[in-house]
Amino acid sequence: MTASPKRFTAGTALCAAGALVIAGCGDTGNSAGSPALDQVKLVDSTPAAAGQLDQATWFMTKEPRSLDLDADAANGQSDLIMANVCERLLQLQPDLSLKPGLAEKYAWKDKTSLVFTIRQGVKFHDGTPMTADDVLWSLQRHSADGASESDEYVNVTGIEKTGPNEVTVRFKQPDAVFLEAIAGDAGVVLSRKGVEAQGKKFGTPDGTDACTGPLMLKQWQSGTQIVLAKAPGYWNQDKASKTDQITFKWGSDDVIVNSLVTGAATGSYLENLSSATQLASGSVTTVSQGPDTRVWSLMVTERGGLKDVRLRKALAMAIDREGVSKAALAGLGQPWKEPVGSGAWGYEKAKFQAAYDAMTGLPAKPQQADLDAAKKLVQEVGETQPIVVASDGSPVRNVIANALVDAAQKIGLKATITQIPTQQYDISDEATRLTADLFSDDYFISKNDPVGFYKNGASNSTVQWLLNDPAYDTLVDQARAALDDGERAAVAIDLAKRWADAMPWIPVVQSPSTVALSTKVTGVPASGSYRYYPWAADLGTKGA
Amino acid sequence: MIALRRLGAMVATLVISSFVIFGGMYAAPGDPVSFLIGNPENMTPERIAAVRAEYHLDLSFISQYLIWAKDLLQGDFGSSMVYQQPVTDLLGTRLPVTLSLVTYAAVLFIVIGVFLGVLSALRRGTAVDALITGVTTFATSIPNFVVAVVLISVFAVKLRWFAVSGPGEGFFGRIHHLTLPAIALALGAIAVVSRVTRQTMVEQQTLDHVEAARSYGLSSRKTVLRHVLRNSLGPVITMCGLILAGMLAGTVVVESVFGLNGIGSLLVEAINTHDFPVVQAILLYMVIAYMVVTILVDLIYPLLDARVLAGSES
Repeated sequence: MTASPKRFTAGTALCAAGALVIAGCGDTGNSAGSPALDQVKLVDSTPAAAGQLDQATWFMTKEPRSLDLDADAANGQSDLIMANVCERLLQLQPDLSLKPGLAEKYAWKDKTSLVFTIRQGVKFHDGTPMTADDVLWSLQRHSADGASESDEYVNVTGIEKTGPNEVTVRFKQPDAVFLEAIAGDAGVVLSRKGVEAQGKKFGTPDGTDACTGPLMLKQWQSGTQIVLAKAPGYWNQDKASKTDQITFKWGSDDVIVNSLVTGAATGSYLENLSSATQLASGSVTTVSQGPDTRVWSLMVTERGGLKDVRLRKALAMAIDREGVSKAALAGLGQPWKEPVGSGAWGYEKAKFQAAYDAMTGLPAKPQQADLDAAKKLVQEVGETQPIVVASDGSPVRNVIANALVDAAQKIGLKATITQIPTQQYDISDEATRLTADLFSDDYFISKNDPVGFYKNGASNSTVQWLLNDPAYDTLVDQARAALDDGERAAVAIDLAKRWADAMPWIPVVQSPSTVALSTKVTGVPASGSYRYYPWAADLGTKGA
Repeated sequence: MIALRRLGAMVATLVISSFVIFGGMYAAPGDPVSFLIGNPENMTPERIAAVRAEYHLDLSFISQYLIWAKDLLQGDFGSSMVYQQPVTDLLGTRLPVTLSLVTYAAVLFIVIGVFLGVLSALRRGTAVDALITGVTTFATSIPNFVVAVVLISVFAVKLRWFAVSGPGEGFFGRIHHLTLPAIALALGAIAVVSRVTRQTMVEQQTLDHVEAARSYGLSSRKTVLRHVLRNSLGPVITMCGLILAGMLAGTVVVESVFGLNGIGSLLVEAINTHDFPVVQAILLYMVIAYMVVTILVDLIYPLLDARVLAGSES
């Protein structure tokens, strides 16, 4: 899975209810003026754990739909859980870099063949040894038509076993992004026998896992909980799980907050940042934030109101990002100039940071000079039609839509909000798209590489509708083919510039990954790496 | 004969409601395909076409309905499009939570509601009556999610007497976990039931046969039990039946606030993701639950009403 904007299903009434809960109980503190939250400071990981934890209860927003990561039904919750259960050929680290995983070595033999040397002595959770045949079968399963990761295999022409411990992947053209995908769900190694023996049960509450990893699936009680237990024969004893057993439960945002406040929950990666303020100010929980790729943007449609790029740029100059971050993300977001977050900088971090800092025309808080420049752009365009921005009434979208209307008014444009029911708020549907010029959505990519995002600027993209430039398409191919990190970073920066010039989306705020923990425990990564890195194995107690 | 006719009417109701439900889902805005293909970057026309064919979404409304109805007649509710699990499995784990919650709430609102109603009817015009009437009027006016939130913040978060979420394990665990949600669900109903009980009892007390019983010198307790209360129970039971049937379909808010994975939360999620088979199954469950409750009420009725009982004997 390359990317998935989160679809909003949480009811607004319940968010309000959540606020009431806290207002009703004075000892959990209020959200205003908490010193811990004055400045967003991103860390890769919480401090390392000292002792073994016997039991943890982890909360998430909903039940996973499937634990078969190749199934379309698998979602963010499936990733969160299975990151601990199923290891991949490469392993994403908390600092978002890549390291060898179940492949002890990997190398480009030439520009179009990638050789994985399979680690020896690894056993699956059922005790059977992992072989090169399992790896071959797993990669073929991920690449099969209809598998959710098959898009990562577009350039792959063949996968073969080329030695007793060796699997070679051949490409029609060089593909640097593939290695990053292999650290994600596209590189999970499954036991062929283990999967085939389960038939249709695999991935459902009746099935078991067929992987190797520091924890194993013990039980999925549909509608109630999912339990993982420390895997006894795990190959990497240095990284053996510091948690003996972790139980996953799910509930609405206020259920998560209440569970953390009362100690019923050990921790949670928070999707709704406004819950974090309530948790950061209490004495029973800590909140940490790390880099992620998730950014809220206003996606411009082909409806026509913003056909002229100067209007898009004028709005980008005038929108109050800081205000949005405060009102919609409880001050825990960051005004952001790119459509993808700093978590995408998995290599050449300094170069990407410098290129980001050099970007202009996307102020955190527009000053008079910005507004004047924006007004000038609008005047250049002349006659304009009224702009329509979509909202579904959910808190964040409401704030962003209102911020846009405010920005438009300040620079002499007319904008109105149209309400679209959440169920219908589907940007991939053309008929829906044509009802508004702008849709806000949060978008994240699973690979820590800007190329993984900017490839969406290609003319065949299904997530943007304005950029249609053959030169851009060529650059996307170049970026994918650049096996050298320095070279790829240079092309990625060029792509980012071209994207910003055409501005098919107006970036608004970055939403960092946020983890709330009971004060008794520590160790898990704060960065977005929790989707693929076995984070629960690092969860342990603070004192020895 | 009456039973047969009744059965026929039930089947007809089920068929019509299943058709209406299916039609409603079909006409609802939004497209299930966008939920079936999780990744927006995979939304190619070919993939969309393949998924449409796989789930019969490319067929006409009538064909889709007939496929579903045919499977249902063979006892197959189908598989959830979203969860890829049989619908019966999904319902099987969530129904017990919702049913135990509603049962608990029903016990609360019937016992407490009737008790308060009787008390305030017998103490009509006193301070007790005024207090009960006042408090229950206030209780009906509070939406149940507000009640739920207040109950959690006071009794679960602050006092830590109850758990904040989950249905609990075992019988006593379940009672412990479901106490707050059951109160939240039952509070409005307690008010309604006590008002109906009070009203009908007050009416009964002024009727001739009660006056007659009293004039014979029958003890006040016997008068109340045999004549007033017994004759008042008809409307009360009808009311309780209606409330109960409504509750079976109306647990979603309370489930969500208390983190219970019940039928209500499943229904809302299924509607949002256009999971046709799950929505169909749950709404049919609700129709059936409503029928079962009304039949139960009809069966209890003759046991209470001496006239109905006498009528069926003759």
